[in-house]
Amino acid sequence: MSQRYSAVPVTTFCVLSAAVFGLTAWAARDTWENLGNPAILTGYTLFVLMLLLGFLNARKRLSMLPVGRASVWLAFHVVAGILALAMFWLHTGTIWPVGLYEQVLTGLFYLVSLSGIVGYGLSRMLPRRLAQTEIEIIFERIPAELAEIREKIEALVLECTEKTGSDTVAQHYIGTLSWFFARPRFRISHIVGGDAAGHWLRGPGSAASRYLNDPERAYFDQIIELGELKCLIDRHYACQELLKKWLLVHVPLAMAVILVAVWHLILVNVYAL
Amino acid sequence: MTESDVESLLRRPDIAAIEADNFPKHTPLKGVLLNDTRIVRFRAGDIVVREGDYGNSAFLVLEGSLRVVLAPELPQSLLGRQQTGKKGFFEALSQLWTNSTVPEVRDISRYQGQGLRGGSDSANARVFLQDVPAVLDRHRTAKLEDGALFGELAALGRVPRTATIFAEQEATLLEIRWQGLRELRKYDEGWRRMIDQRYRENALKTHLQESIMFSRLDENALQSVVDKVLFETYGAFDWNVAFQKQRQSGNAKEPVIARQGEYPDGVLMIRAGFARVSVKHGNGERTLTYLGAGDHFGLGELYAAWKNPDIPDIALYTTLTALGYVDVIRVPAPILEEHVFPFMEQPTSTTMDIASKPVADDAMMEWAVEERFINATRSMVIDLERCVRCDDCVRACASTHGGNPRFRRHGRTFDNIMVANACMHCADPVCMIGCPTGAIHRTVETGIVVINDLTCIGCATCANSCPYNNIAMVAIRTKDGHTIADPNTGKPIFKATKCDFCDSNPGGPACVRACPYGALRRVHFREFNPAGAG
Repeated sequence: MSQRYSAVPVTTFCVLSAAVFGLTAWAARDTWENLGNPAILTGYTLFVLMLLLGFLNARKRLSMLPVGRASVWLAFHVVAGILALAMFWLHTGTIWPVGLYEQVLTGLFYLVSLSGIVGYGLSRMLPRRLAQTEIEIIFERIPAELAEIREKIEALVLECTEKTGSDTVAQHYIGTLSWFFARPRFRISHIVGGDAAGHWLRGPGSAASRYLNDPERAYFDQIIELGELKCLIDRHYACQELLKKWLLVHVPLAMAVILVAVWHLILVNVYAL
Repeated sequence: MTESDVESLLRRPDIAAIEADNFPKHTPLKGVLLNDTRIVRFRAGDIVVREGDYGNSAFLVLEGSLRVVLAPELPQSLLGRQQTGKKGFFEALSQLWTNSTVPEVRDISRYQGQGLRGGSDSANARVFLQDVPAVLDRHRTAKLEDGALFGELAALGRVPRTATIFAEQEATLLEIRWQGLRELRKYDEGWRRMIDQRYRENALKTHLQESIMFSRLDENALQSVVDKVLFETYGAFDWNVAFQKQRQSGNAKEPVIARQGEYPDGVLMIRAGFARVSVKHGNGERTLTYLGAGDHFGLGELYAAWKNPDIPDIALYTTLTALGYVDVIRVPAPILEEHVFPFMEQPTSTTMDIASKPVADDAMMEWAVEERFINATRSMVIDLERCVRCDDCVRACASTHGGNPRFRRHGRTFDNIMVANACMHCADPVCMIGCPTGAIHRTVETGIVVINDLTCIGCATCANSCPYNNIAMVAIRTKDGHTIADPNTGKPIFKATKCDFCDSNPGGPACVRACPYGALRRVHFREFNPAGAG
């Protein structure tokens, strides 16, 4: 079910960003032609932009105030982030500077930009994948859910052994399946949208099926069914974990960039002007 | 209620007048009195019913005198209700540093002087007026004495109480549950006449005038309609109890009000509750739409029959079933032919247009009806294809409620839509039925259902009634994290908590504002379009 959302904020911010970039570039060129230092103008503009980008995080702590919708703030954050990248190149005049300190600053800036772009991509892509699992689970509850599945399976294995007098299912569980059910598996595959978990479950996971009689197979089918449910929960775990944790990269890096930029600003004002 | 109580009741002239012989063997009058009534005693100042509350019982005055407040209305604070204005900017901001890290912290000194009696016992808890003479001085009131019956329209019609009534002096009342009231009306001609007459006098005319069909009628014509309409109720008043069981078992039974293919003898106007409009489809029933208060059913068919008298046997195109408890007014066809049809244009019906669409197109609505989300006026709907599960909405909710989130980002899902466990501020708020102190109520200004923490006694009536599990009972604590216990019983004090739609916070619901991806909306299910702008 597709959804249409207002593109007005994004369009507005894009137009504003283009105007800001155009004006700054024109003013920088004018300064250059008048034998001034355009890096001062572009540098301060870039620094202000960085601070504005940081306000998104501050806004999250001000939810009790009517300070606009977070979705509008995010739209601004994304557009301003792209503008900051363009402004960065306008300011440095190069993709990779020569000084060590500038290289550290540039490296950090690129990492923040990259983590932002990747994070934004993930936040657009992974929710759709999660919705398609047709189950919904709160991230913090996943360990408990997995433990519950393990308990059910172990009860089935015990009952199967007692009722059929055969330990084939139990042996297969101990030897093979317990690894799969112990904790979330196949994270990378779940994140990139593969089906390695299902493939494993249908392959090695179901290898004992041919050695079972009908009563044993009835138990085994229930175990595999729970395995399929675990695949879906694992997908939630992998995707939700990534959706939560990319910010643990992006936000500290962003703070580091601002700190290093402040020091850069002090150095420039003290020694270069 | 004991056998001797019933015997003494039967000696009263108003009860003795009930024709016990008309009651069937399986529902004798004594049984009704024994099981569906109780004797309640009120002290001077005790509030019996509050204006705006929903109730499932009527009262008969056995002894003592009561007062009905006519004008002006009693202030909300006297009724045990919340009195909070909107927080100012700085008060809202101060939550940044005043919110506690300890869950559900309360300042117990605020619970003093709330005009509460009866402790945490829901059967005896009352809000009382502390200065009855002052109330009598400042407000115009009417007296109710021995033999007076009140509250029956709210109890049968599932509408809010229209006035506040309090005990002027010690009073003994007979409380009659809606089930008992229904039996009395059903089997005793006198009670039926009395209840119907009161309804015709008090509420019906206004209700009919609100309908576009009757809005043009003059006083005389309207009166003739009022005199001839019939009242019907379908389903159980406490539908929410059965619904929760049916939801688990998946075999809901809905009373049929009108069946597809039958002859329409009148228009059915929904006065309260919800009804499903469906057509036969394969081996099942396909929901086309649902009707709520103010909607009507069967007008198109009746109009066609009147317009084309040559066409024989015009029948109902669709079936109407009760979703829970439905209060219906049946307007007979001759009335419409005389007063309505000659002055109206052919009604347009969209139900058959819906029937021509693929079933997949209205699967969402079918689900919403099945789950009774149609009751929602401010449902929290999350688009799972946009939600990144960041819980910013939950944190925003906590930041505006003293550090405690008032909803769970979890709930029933359909396709990519989740209806989260947040109070939906229902059109038919069953949670409000039976609150002994009126702590759970609708705000006068916005109609949002809120709980007054100061007069909530933690009886959990509302939480148990909510069919959507959107009310949580929480143990309250001191600032240093200790659970607060009732000094009389030593047990922890519980309070009912739920989403209040950020009623006192500036800028509306924080959860909606906090979602960075526009995945969360608060919607009235009637107007909900899953493909709409977020």
